[in-house]
Amino acid sequence: MPPRLSLQVHGARSRAFTIRAQLYAHQRCASTSAPEIYDVVCVGGGPAGLSLLAGLRASKATSNLKIALIESQDLQKNRQHNTTLDVFSNRCSSLTPASVKNLQEIGAWSHVNNARVQPYQEMQVWDGVTDSRISFDWSSATNSFAPHQPSQPSIIAYMIENINITTTLLSHLSVLSGVTTFSPARVESIELGQETADLDLRSWPMLTLSNGKTLAARLLVGADGANSPVRAFAGIPSRGFDYNRHGVVATLRLEGLGWGGEAHKIAYQRFLPTGPVAMLPLPGNMASLVWSTVPERASRLKSLSSEDFVAMVNAAFRLSTVDLEFLHTLPEGQQKEVAWREQHTPVNNRNIPMKVVSVQEGSVASFPLKMRHADTYTGERVALVGDAAHTIHPLAGQGLNQGQADAASLVRTIKSAVLNGQDIGAQLSLESYNNERYAENNALLGVCDKLHRLYSVESGPIVPLRSLGLKAVDMMGPLKGFLMRRAAGTG
Amino acid sequence: MTFTTSLKHAIPKLREALSCPLTRQICLYHSYEYSQPAPFSTSESAILSSAITHVPNYGFTPTALKLGARDAGYLDVSTNLLPRGVFDLVNYHLVTQRLALKDTVQFPAEGDLKPGEALEVGVKVRALVLSRLRANGLIINRWQEALAIMAQPSYMSSSIAELARLADEIWFLAGDTSVDTSWYTKRASLSAIYSATEVFMTQDQSTNFADTEKFLDARLEDSLKAESFLAGLGDWADYTGHSFVNLLRSKGMRI
Repeated sequence: MPPRLSLQVHGARSRAFTIRAQLYAHQRCASTSAPEIYDVVCVGGGPAGLSLLAGLRASKATSNLKIALIESQDLQKNRQHNTTLDVFSNRCSSLTPASVKNLQEIGAWSHVNNARVQPYQEMQVWDGVTDSRISFDWSSATNSFAPHQPSQPSIIAYMIENINITTTLLSHLSVLSGVTTFSPARVESIELGQETADLDLRSWPMLTLSNGKTLAARLLVGADGANSPVRAFAGIPSRGFDYNRHGVVATLRLEGLGWGGEAHKIAYQRFLPTGPVAMLPLPGNMASLVWSTVPERASRLKSLSSEDFVAMVNAAFRLSTVDLEFLHTLPEGQQKEVAWREQHTPVNNRNIPMKVVSVQEGSVASFPLKMRHADTYTGERVALVGDAAHTIHPLAGQGLNQGQADAASLVRTIKSAVLNGQDIGAQLSLESYNNERYAENNALLGVCDKLHRLYSVESGPIVPLRSLGLKAVDMMGPLKGFLMRRAAGTG
Repeated sequence: MTFTTSLKHAIPKLREALSCPLTRQICLYHSYEYSQPAPFSTSESAILSSAITHVPNYGFTPTALKLGARDAGYLDVSTNLLPRGVFDLVNYHLVTQRLALKDTVQFPAEGDLKPGEALEVGVKVRALVLSRLRANGLIINRWQEALAIMAQPSYMSSSIAELARLADEIWFLAGDTSVDTSWYTKRASLSAIYSATEVFMTQDQSTNFADTEKFLDARLEDSLKAESFLAGLGDWADYTGHSFVNLLRSKGMRI
């Protein structure tokens, strides 16, 4: 493909095309109009796609690229408007310090609604069958012989609503400007272009939108989620399994700020045989719940009254697995049953989250859990980022961070292609993106998959062994520190 | 001259000799086109079929064989027709009951069933195993003797082969047509389940072998669990294999 030169020339050329397209539109045959040529067309305006575009616009080398964003939902309508701090979206994510650093580097983090972001400093994880426990906080993970460094990080991750991230990135993009946004617009079809008298677009993906526009993409980025049409167009298979589990999410109100107060928030995760249940801190008394469980129990939980649901959440962190199994068989009346059982189950209150007092109206929802990994992230003039490339079990809260890391890596790849005068859509220039991200994502997917399998065992020799392993890791500070740095993305 | 004539005579004989094992090889697989030859000769089956009626009283013993020969109108000494003695009597029971399965258990034809009512293979297998076990019902008090005879080193291999043939027959009659590795695992697991249930049945004191039925159901359920575990393992291995190749590809290896 013609390098560099075309990057400078296409602007004029595409302007000519736009004029021609308008002429055609006057003749009422807009659907067959000549395509508008873009350097980067991103399908999907989720956190990964928006982060990619913000990164491209923020970098000097790539800021001259002509960029289009296609999103099927109305991006402006989906921005976060409410500012009361007692209502939170049930779709929250934990952003690792590495992801936050990346957002800071592209300049987006300054637009974040900071009051709705909750950093947490400690994480308590325990086994639902044996109660063996591991606690992650930076002070326990440091080497006691080495002097304490003031630069020592103290934050494990930041809890943030997904809508807050997208709003942040959208505000940043509107400041940077230069991205042509088609929203709401669906992609009707993607096919390869044709050779005309002036142009050979045979290797270029052509997107036909629901508004009748046709775009030609030098590089088509699929950030369009797990059922990615871009991935289907590129013919990249995606493999994995369905876990036969559902993740139940809800926004909860606790009886207090948490055992560490405002300055030291704690995330809790208990591994039950049906899947992990996690309570993650949000600002103030609020918390976010992610409870992965079998589909029947998920639908039972969703059908409960809010009092019974609250009782079940409290029980999930306190009662034995046998009690929980019984409670799930009741169609109603869990509140009384749990209150009675709690009197007879001794727990150390400081080790478990504070009691839930209420659940936010309409925030209980569920989604199926699965694991998918595309065979490759790149094709000729195609790159996949985020969920389009990989879907992960939510037990480590890494899905969104993987997408952010993908976006940052793809920005670096495109940047170096532009600086070297390469065609940014050629598979050769995209190779380093796949090289950089595939192994890392594969390892993380594997670890989460193994953890899920390890903790779904209820009895047998594996149970004491896994507890032994957990206790051993808990006692070995440096090893724990290594794991934490890996999880934080700074190792 | 004499050489060629003798050759002329020899060739058809040779052909006959060669064709004999060939026809046998053809019979190694089941075909609807050919009928299988009877497993026992007329005199053998005459002696053994009457001998089996004496088993409830005399057990799997030479006495039963002798009485059987007398009933069939043979001399006592004719039991020497059966080189393996009492094991031949056990074997006769095993073979005839296996072959009887296809007549004793009748499943409704596909066309007669309403849609959604079709019998699952698992249900058919259960019915066939139960029917085969019930065929041991008349001689169940003597069946431990038979098991002991079958376990003798010299008869072990033929007993195991007969067990394998029974498992094969049951899967075949149940309409299983798999041609992958599950062909082997299915037969192996059914053989294990059948032999365990058979041993259990010899000690079953319940009316109409209700406990045996329960025992069988529990074993079948176990095997279903194991099967789904194995299938899951297969999926996982498939994924892991692909991701390994993809990993090498992402690092630039041309494979």
